[in-house]
Amino acid sequence: MSAQKPLELILARNLLSSISTPAFLVGEEGTLLFYNEAAGALVGRRFEESGTMSAQEWTTEFGPFDANDQPMNYDEVPITLKLREGRPAHGNFRICVAGGHHEDVHVSAIPIVGNDSASGAIVIFWPLNEEEA
Amino acid sequence: MKLKIWGARGSVPAPGPETMHYGGNTSCVEVTLSDGSTLILDAGTGIRNLGLALPRIERPIHILLTHLHLDHIQGLMFFAPLFRPESEIIVWGPASPEASLRERIGRYISAPLAPVEVRELPAAVSFREAEPLEWQLGPARIRAQSVNHRGPTLGYRVDDGDRSLCYIPDHEPGLGAPLGELEDDWISGFELAQDASLLIHDCQYTDTEYPQHLGWGHSPMRDALEFGHRTSARRLLLFHHDPLHSDDFLDSLTGDVAERWTGLGGRPEDVELATERREIEIAPAEAAASRP
Repeated sequence: MSAQKPLELILARNLLSSISTPAFLVGEEGTLLFYNEAAGALVGRRFEESGTMSAQEWTTEFGPFDANDQPMNYDEVPITLKLREGRPAHGNFRICVAGGHHEDVHVSAIPIVGNDSASGAIVIFWPLNEEEA
Repeated sequence: MKLKIWGARGSVPAPGPETMHYGGNTSCVEVTLSDGSTLILDAGTGIRNLGLALPRIERPIHILLTHLHLDHIQGLMFFAPLFRPESEIIVWGPASPEASLRERIGRYISAPLAPVEVRELPAAVSFREAEPLEWQLGPARIRAQSVNHRGPTLGYRVDDGDRSLCYIPDHEPGLGAPLGELEDDWISGFELAQDASLLIHDCQYTDTEYPQHLGWGHSPMRDALEFGHRTSARRLLLFHHDPLHSDDFLDSLTGDVAERWTGLGGRPEDVELATERREIEIAPAEAAASRP
């Protein structure tokens, strides 16, 4: 068994399991700890199939991608930098969706801070509206 | 290590002829360590009787609070050693970003809810926030860990030699997902309870009652049993009885509890509903390995 997850991550996973907005739960080092069914439908792969993924693995597979459709380095994604400052962040990103094509989405990320330190983040995906798409 | 239950009721005291057997006092467990020293888990109304029974001792008295809901602190103000100048009492409890442990307990032990203030208590009382702490008390290693309840709440583990006690009286580990679908490291309190010689765990509701109380921070019987099984607790004491559950009602559950525990691979004698004044000598956890 890997180390017990902090309670705030357990509760965050429970929350994500119960909502129909696509969302990732990312750990302190960028590890993708969990994503919900809605996110699975968005990226075309269920969490039960992929399991936990390192930052490099999931950014290579799901994005975000730059203007040249190349995966961005997780450590250089603006949202990552904001989260590491303990700040929430929002931005537009290109990700790989079900069917394998790239699509632009809004992304909101909220840091999760436990009793003593940051333990991860919730990352929520929003489709562009008709004017934006 | 041995223990005595001074209160096993949840939410609110439930005294009366219909609760004489399991008891009406709220959460309080006395733990006697291998060197004879005493730890107290929670200060529900059961601690009043414990305070009257405790001999006058020179050693500090450690009270470990899981959280500050009234059913876990209500007895504190009626704990006789607090009114003895020679007593030294150390109260441990969860941290909160909102206020210190002393300030939060002071909201109860202060006007208009109480006739005294914390500073007026004759005993030497100190408060220590236990999260995320692991510390030594005499022969025992104590570990505190946040668990899933409403508001900052700790579970405790006491390791004394080859015996261990895990105490999680208010806990809803199955909130949001059935326990059976979660990996071990995603279950609240798992590590704390793993391989405990004795696990004292929330079992406030029946499975039928639980859907009406989802998110209230307590376990149905199926989750209490599943949690005990998954963590390989050698022995399981079901705790925090709902105030509406009479002796007759709780008695009617015992057969089902034993049958379901056996179905999970346990021995029927290793599971029971907690009863006030019950004393238990904690055996080593060696038998856990023999379970299928």
